[in-house]
Amino acid sequence: MRRVIHKLFWVWQLEKEQAWINEMASHGYSLEHAGRLTFEFDETEPDLYVYKTLFLKGWGESVENVKYLKFLEEMGIKVVCYINYPGACWVYTRALKADYPEGIDIYSDIDSQIKGMGVMSGYMIFVMVMTLFAALLNLWIGIGRGFILPLNLICSIVMFVLFTLATIATVKIFVNTGKLKKERKIHE
Amino acid sequence: MPQLALTEAVFYILLSLQKPLHGYGIIQNVGELSNGRVKLAAGTLYGALNSLVEKGWIDALPENPESRKKEYVITKNGQAVLKEELDRLSELVDNGKRILGGN
Repeated sequence: MRRVIHKLFWVWQLEKEQAWINEMASHGYSLEHAGRLTFEFDETEPDLYVYKTLFLKGWGESVENVKYLKFLEEMGIKVVCYINYPGACWVYTRALKADYPEGIDIYSDIDSQIKGMGVMSGYMIFVMVMTLFAALLNLWIGIGRGFILPLNLICSIVMFVLFTLATIATVKIFVNTGKLKKERKIHE
Repeated sequence: MPQLALTEAVFYILLSLQKPLHGYGIIQNVGELSNGRVKLAAGTLYGALNSLVEKGWIDALPENPESRKKEYVITKNGQAVLKEELDRLSELVDNGKRILGGN
């Protein structure tokens, strides 16, 4: 039986979202489809699958991503679905827990972890620039022309909040990348 | 300029590709060679294989229509790099044993 849950995760909450989907799978609800705010689960036996969410540069249909996802499939990691964003995509993958009892690891060395974080931080910087631009533009339209437009003012505040959240997330990514780079100096 | 040290993953991938293998075969072989110590993850392997093909150290063979899995095999250049790395590692081990008094 299909169960639909509406839930919001921001772009920087990849790990939190993944943990929640795996928690659902451990209770016998396996993700079959995801939209921007909806998650569709089918009832299966508990712990049948483990899930991994991936953040990739470019859309899911891009030649490079199709090649990469086909390679993952050869490893038993199948794509459940993906959601395209401007210049990037969010991919939901799963594998049988029997094949990946400790969960799906996509990167096993520090260099590739750093590279993966680079993709994420690059996109977050793009989000920061776009939200800041939208915030300043709406602020100017809302109050900068001698009269007040409340809708633009509200949009501006929302965009400033998003910009702040994106900045916090970007800083977190940079801190983690820095730790890995420090580690890389003495270990592989 | 002497060759830079290979990563453990690249060393084991080159070692595994003495015969043609597909991605999953490489992961299994590396696991066996290292007695389960080195577990290559899919994304790391994908990045390494692409880099090694670009460098000409391995070749991607035409896709097998039955399995639809791409296989890879080491090239002459790759063998030379592997040999050089083996010499470097031997030097490390020999010096370590000589100074620490191991056998």
